[in-house]
Amino acid sequence: MKFQIEDVTVYFPYDNIYPEQYSYMVELKRALDAKGHCLLEMPTGTGKTIALLSLITSYSLSKPQRQVKLIYCTRTVHEMEKTLAELKLLHNYQIKHLGPAAGILAIGLSSRKNLCVNPTVLAAENRDSVDAACRKLTASWVRALAAENPNVPTCEFFENYERAASAAVLPPGVYTLQDLRAYGREKGWCPYFLARHMVQFANVVVYSYQYLLDPKVAGIISKEMQKESVVVFDEAHNIDNVCIEALSVSVRSKTLDGASRNLSRINQEIERFKATDAGRLRAEYNRLVEGLAQRGNLAATDTWLANPALPDDILKEAVPGNIRRAEHFLHVLRRLVQYLRGRLDTENVEKESPISFVASLNTHAGIDQKTLKFCYDRLHSLMLTLEITDTDEFLHIQTICDFATLVGTYSRGFSIIIEPFDERMPHIPDPVLQLSCHDASLAIKPVFDRFQSVVITSGTLSPIDLYPRLLNFHPVVSRSFTMSLTRDCICPMVLTRGSDQLPVSTKFDMRSDPGVARNYGKLLVEMVSVVPDGIVCFFVSYSYMDGIINSWNETGVLKEIMQHKLVFIETQDVVETTLALDNYRRACDCGRGAVFFSVARGKVAEGIDFDRHYGRLVIMFGIPFQYTLSKILIARLEYLRDTFQIKEGDFLTFDALRQAAQCVGRVIRSKADYGMMIFADKRYSRHDKRSKLPGWILSHLRDANLNLSTDMALHIAREFLRKMAQPYDKTGTGGRKTLLSQEDLEKMAENGVQEMLF
Amino acid sequence: MSTGEKKRLNGEAEEDDDVDVDGDGLDAWERTYTDERSWEALQEDESGLLRPIDNKAIYHAQYRRRLRSLSTTAVRIQKGLIRFLYIVVDLSRAASEMDFRPSRMVVIAKHVEAFIREFFDQNPLSQIGLVTIKDGVAHPLTELGGSPESHIKALMGKMECSGDSSLQNALDLVRGYLDQIPSYGHREVLILYSALSTCDPGDITETIQKCKESKIRCSVIGLSAEMFICKHLCQETGGLYSVAMDEAHFKELMLEHAPPPPAIAEFAIANLIKMGFPQRAAEGSISICSCHKEAKVGDGYICPRCKARVCELPTECRICGLTLVSSPHLARSYHHLFPIAPFDEVSPRQNELLHRPVKTCFGCQQSLLNPGNKPGLSVVCPKCKQYFCVDCDIYIHESLHNCPGCESFRHS
Repeated sequence: MKFQIEDVTVYFPYDNIYPEQYSYMVELKRALDAKGHCLLEMPTGTGKTIALLSLITSYSLSKPQRQVKLIYCTRTVHEMEKTLAELKLLHNYQIKHLGPAAGILAIGLSSRKNLCVNPTVLAAENRDSVDAACRKLTASWVRALAAENPNVPTCEFFENYERAASAAVLPPGVYTLQDLRAYGREKGWCPYFLARHMVQFANVVVYSYQYLLDPKVAGIISKEMQKESVVVFDEAHNIDNVCIEALSVSVRSKTLDGASRNLSRINQEIERFKATDAGRLRAEYNRLVEGLAQRGNLAATDTWLANPALPDDILKEAVPGNIRRAEHFLHVLRRLVQYLRGRLDTENVEKESPISFVASLNTHAGIDQKTLKFCYDRLHSLMLTLEITDTDEFLHIQTICDFATLVGTYSRGFSIIIEPFDERMPHIPDPVLQLSCHDASLAIKPVFDRFQSVVITSGTLSPIDLYPRLLNFHPVVSRSFTMSLTRDCICPMVLTRGSDQLPVSTKFDMRSDPGVARNYGKLLVEMVSVVPDGIVCFFVSYSYMDGIINSWNETGVLKEIMQHKLVFIETQDVVETTLALDNYRRACDCGRGAVFFSVARGKVAEGIDFDRHYGRLVIMFGIPFQYTLSKILIARLEYLRDTFQIKEGDFLTFDALRQAAQCVGRVIRSKADYGMMIFADKRYSRHDKRSKLPGWILSHLRDANLNLSTDMALHIAREFLRKMAQPYDKTGTGGRKTLLSQEDLEKMAENGVQEMLF
Repeated sequence: MSTGEKKRLNGEAEEDDDVDVDGDGLDAWERTYTDERSWEALQEDESGLLRPIDNKAIYHAQYRRRLRSLSTTAVRIQKGLIRFLYIVVDLSRAASEMDFRPSRMVVIAKHVEAFIREFFDQNPLSQIGLVTIKDGVAHPLTELGGSPESHIKALMGKMECSGDSSLQNALDLVRGYLDQIPSYGHREVLILYSALSTCDPGDITETIQKCKESKIRCSVIGLSAEMFICKHLCQETGGLYSVAMDEAHFKELMLEHAPPPPAIAEFAIANLIKMGFPQRAAEGSISICSCHKEAKVGDGYICPRCKARVCELPTECRICGLTLVSSPHLARSYHHLFPIAPFDEVSPRQNELLHRPVKTCFGCQQSLLNPGNKPGLSVVCPKCKQYFCVDCDIYIHESLHNCPGCESFRHS
């Protein structure tokens, strides 16, 4: 269908549109007009992605003078493929209506592991070794060597791509990762480098968060994006954590051992070069005198280590004299590793600010701040000079230099925490030194500054006013949309009491109470007998889950559950969990019914959907607060309080509730679906907790469903499931129109938009 | 008498009461009200007086809706008139739940009985068999047969529930029976499923595929919630899946299965069937009955081909295998093929607009006017343009299956 939003003609590939999709597009369009950032919350299953894609592509089609480039960031490769498939559908529709003039180039960009077509490289098992294997074949010096000696292996795909030079371009179209690989195979060109080259010309680029947020990667991939781009972060409810992780480093004793090995290896290389080709080292020295390693002149294959600090903070200066010579630099690194080893060897927890850390480093190891700052670049330059290709071997020393540069560059928003052992397992010594970033706004600031519109969107962004404060930006539009439903297909409940009317909670002082475990068990036993197919249970942590399952096993609760449904448990092992999930789905498919025990903040809670019969009920046992005794969390909370005036309690509740919403939101993935959600903790009935849930859940949380006991919940569940099993009309009837056709939209345009919007 | 004793006596009295309540449900004076819920049939009129709700109008509206939904889908569709239906009753643990009063099992039994009678009324040429699921195993209760009484008696004798439920076992058992019946018959299964899971010995999807291949139409009525596998089964085999909200709804859903379903397309080949129309045996004649294998006096039918005696119709002759029916049976099945078109509703105002308002029903000759001489609700036959009252409308469509207006018009 085709319709007007103000002065933009929107091409939408489906015959009908949901009202909330329409209002989403209207808000988005206003944000683009205002050239500002926006924050939009819309529940999953309402077609966020297609609304976004069709508006932005239509926007640049309607305004040829303002070419908008779309940079779409997803969390996983799977989501990336889904987005591109959706875009393909849209593109075909636009071509059909507008002819080839509407042609755009859209590509997905991922790591070599996902794009490489060279069978010898692909044999490597993980991402880093694929990268290294590729470099072994394509590094400029390897190729130079191969030109003289045909026995040196190179990658034919890359050679073909290089030979084609400027002729190697992608014709307009939408390319998923698979399409890129197929195209590369067909033409004999390397899809990875082709995609990286085409990124600057493409109208739509879909890639992972890290490519924009992690300065190590962003410096290489995303530096040439023009300002007139629209950046979209999809599923961005955890964006602050991604930002923080991008700037945090942790060093363990294993890292230090590895770094020492790396250093001796580098030393050998230096000795070898000194003997054979001393000129190279001297040339490097001269280059460093002149200024920082000029990355601009390097071939695309040789860039892999961009500075971990943000672009604005990198000094454009010459490398300080004391590390210009390779041997001297090695000495500095050795001293640094030695110092860190000494720090790790501590009995008690230490917390320090970067300033005092650097000062102590200066007195004990004689390395000053400026030297630290240049560590990463100097290492990069050295490794290039030494023509090292097996970069996956050198990850440890890279981590150390990463740490050094960050600690030398930033004095605010970071802290250094040394823990001799894990709090929860005090007997096992596992010293770790963490440089943790507390300020999510640091990593994302360059993105906000560089691009004209940044769209942050997700199903759960509530409370929506907290994100601008956390990320320190000013959105021109921030709105939360509810879902228009033909029937009340979600049924959230707050369960505060067991069947014996005693309160249930995972609060610290009640956690070990056997009555609570019994009541939770009773709840589950009752629920498995009335809910068909799949049930998903989320617990607050692995340790709590282990404890409660043990007690259920002893009291025979588990046996009772097994009479109705099979039980599957998420573990920290990925393979085991995948297997469990697989069997869980099979049990749901064949009608046996199953329960899945999972952990909030775990892999399952973040990425696996339990839609349709795979999840008719989610039970959230307790509120998934973070482990509040964690030193990193305490440091971050202090920082947030001092810098952004966000109270500790507010942030903790916000963080816990968004996790809870994320967990329960797993059950409903489309409007035709239905599911129940039970929040089993007495604290959910308190207003300050409850009000932080996203609007689309709150609007279905009726007062009658608050403060329930097990038997009342059971009754509601029975009624709800019966009601949902009845056939229903998909388009909605009477006043509640939930699918708009083209005529409806035209009518709306006449009557003024506002009245139809809710 | 000390207070302690008093208390004890009181306690006893209360206990007695409890026993009473358990024994025969409620007191006699309460019972009439709980069954009929007569207080719900009251409404306030504009002057604040309580008046009984005009049940007739509501009932009629419901009926019209059903009729319309049927007629829109069923315009000239080939129907399977000779049906072989297995009713599978789930008597697993879940059937003892009390969310239907007094329990699911009792409610099911009650309505299966009503359904069997209604079924034979509407499909005199068809046969029913009963299967129960208990302890994860499916038991055949009765074989396919045309006598309502024997099925009902067999079911009533077996009403107890325990153990798990297994859909696959039930389907396998039923499929074994239905595979043997001749190709002109329509194979159907109606499963009344209380449980929310199925414990199967093997892969149920294979069984579902086999049912599909055998062209067995499987329908499920759930008693608690929608189950994926049931939905899948019904979708694959072309059956209906529904979940009962309450007892009334359950009854309605059951009765939806009474009229013959549209025939499965690839299966609906026109087919000639040999049938016998037996004579009723002479009064007082003694003969050996072929179904009970004992001598009986009078009250039977004689197979026209082999002269064996059978007790009831319709059936298949035990001796020569001929299908035995009576002509009223055929006639009663006939109306499913040529239903009378639904009558158009005439609002009282429309009737007033006619220059000569029709005052009496063509069927019963009663006045169409409400008390107070205001025209009431009436319907008109689209063919003969005769007016009928609401009661006659229902009677004509549900029982008579002939329009008196059209019939009399043809003769004159």
